[in-house]
Amino acid sequence: SYCGDGKTVTFAGIDWESGAFITEVMKTILSKGYDCQVDSIPGNSVTLEQATANNDVQIFAEEWLGRSDVWNKAVEEKKVIAVGKTFVGASEGWFVPDYVVHGDPARNIEAKAPDLKSVSQLTDPKIAEIFADPEEPSKGRFLNCPSGWTCEGVSTAKLEAYKLGETYVNFRPGTGTALDAAITSAYLQGEPIFFYYWSPTAILGKFKLIQLEEPAYNEACWKELSSANGKRDEGCAFPSVDVAYGVNSTFASEAPEIVEILEKATFPLDEVNASLAYMADNKVDATAAAAEFLKTKGDIWSKWVSDEARGKIEAGLK
Amino acid sequence: MFPDSLNLSIRAPVNDFIQALVTNYGWVFKAISGVILKAVLFIEWILRGLPWWLVILAFMALACRSSRRWSLTLAVCALLETVGVLGIWDLTMQTLALMLMATIVSVVIGVPMGILVAKSRVVRNITLPVLDVMQTMPSFVYLIPALMLFGLGKVPAILATIIYAVPPLIRLTDLGIRQVDAEVVEAATAFGGSPGQILFGVELPLATPTIMAGLNQTIMMALSMVVVASMIGARGLGEQVLNGIQTLDVGKGLEAGIGIVILAVVLDRITQGFGKPRTEDARNG
Repeated sequence: SYCGDGKTVTFAGIDWESGAFITEVMKTILSKGYDCQVDSIPGNSVTLEQATANNDVQIFAEEWLGRSDVWNKAVEEKKVIAVGKTFVGASEGWFVPDYVVHGDPARNIEAKAPDLKSVSQLTDPKIAEIFADPEEPSKGRFLNCPSGWTCEGVSTAKLEAYKLGETYVNFRPGTGTALDAAITSAYLQGEPIFFYYWSPTAILGKFKLIQLEEPAYNEACWKELSSANGKRDEGCAFPSVDVAYGVNSTFASEAPEIVEILEKATFPLDEVNASLAYMADNKVDATAAAAEFLKTKGDIWSKWVSDEARGKIEAGLK
Repeated sequence: MFPDSLNLSIRAPVNDFIQALVTNYGWVFKAISGVILKAVLFIEWILRGLPWWLVILAFMALACRSSRRWSLTLAVCALLETVGVLGIWDLTMQTLALMLMATIVSVVIGVPMGILVAKSRVVRNITLPVLDVMQTMPSFVYLIPALMLFGLGKVPAILATIIYAVPPLIRLTDLGIRQVDAEVVEAATAFGGSPGQILFGVELPLATPTIMAGLNQTIMMALSMVVVASMIGARGLGEQVLNGIQTLDVGKGLEAGIGIVILAVVLDRITQGFGKPRTEDARNG
């Protein structure tokens, strides 16, 4: 077998919460249950996708399919394949805090935009003013994904497609931590903020947010939006997304026994959310959350692995 | 292994403290942030508003005045033209504004601090370890709380840059003043110079080359923070580099990288030039 030959399974060290958590769980399963040498390399998603195509990284634990040009190209060239489903029911969109629309009497915050519910209302200068960018006060600030994240390109395209480019600054925070910190800080102070976010995440579990309505998803529109050189005439919602394990093709043919595990390893969305909440509440990192998950949710992950591996993993956790 | 029972983590209290600070006193920091932001935006407004040839001319004049060499003046002109040709003029001006602001604040803090450090043993003993911390603490550690307090973008970037870039100026101002020949100071005292006169008339002029070397280092370190600053949303060349490397667009990253290097070379030569001639004047006079 692959691990028996002493080869290392390298994971993409993706750093958003759910990705880091799932990577840790799978790393532990492979190292404890199947005696694999495991490692993970940190980096941003595009670099790591490229690394997966080059077989420098073997497993990308949370690949949002069809979102990234690098990934799509690697799939076409048959360098990578998508295996199984990491979890089902992921979603993403543009959000504002609930108190912007409904106010929050308990915190003495009045509703600044009581009618706001759809992306089409954003062109209104009064709405843009609520989200004013302190660095360019004449425009609103849209907090996009950090550059290099796949969602950044799509949200930038949408901003153009919805004709918001003139009224909003396309603000890229640089890193995921900066994005989270900006949202948390604004929320704690009850200030208006308009941003991209996705679930499953701790932020979405922790804060009361409203997702802005967008025109329904259609394939033609999405194709233009998700391509770097596509047209920007029409905007539409993010499609429901398939999230899978991205695996290098060479590795997949060398290690069918590992691919078999990945095919079965679908995390229930509730469990992912619970683990993210556990991380946030106890202020622990993904490694601790993964250990907790493996200790307490044996009934879930035991279905993914062989009985022998299950015994070894349980013994290893003690 | 260090025994677990002796563990004393400061994580939770620090986290709670930051959260309480943001929730209860966020507005104070927002107000400070607003003032700094106005100043940067003003510098940026000037730099981006001026026609490009005027900015190049101003830099050429500075280069000429500092080095008194035509070769350098023309080189500065050619380098800045390159920035324009690469299509990153506007980004360069944004970065320059950010850096100028950080440098100005650094000088306002650094030079007086350096004088104090040189004059007082107590201040010196307290300040030097603090400077060590400022230079070695990974910038992300204070960037994220700064971001939560001051908001995303230019202001936390400037603060982080100052924290990182001010130590060499303080150290070299201190060094410069302490290196002034004791006999010269003694002579000035003998002629009845007051401490103020000695400081401004003797010590500071003689220390100028060292202080200028400190300023030069501060500027260089401020430039090296440009990419880090872009990680918290400061726009300019740094963001372009970050964006380039994060999307595997190496060409784009390199273009902006060249912009940063050019800015560094130009500013380095000009500030170095300002340090040198004074030395000769001092020696001759």
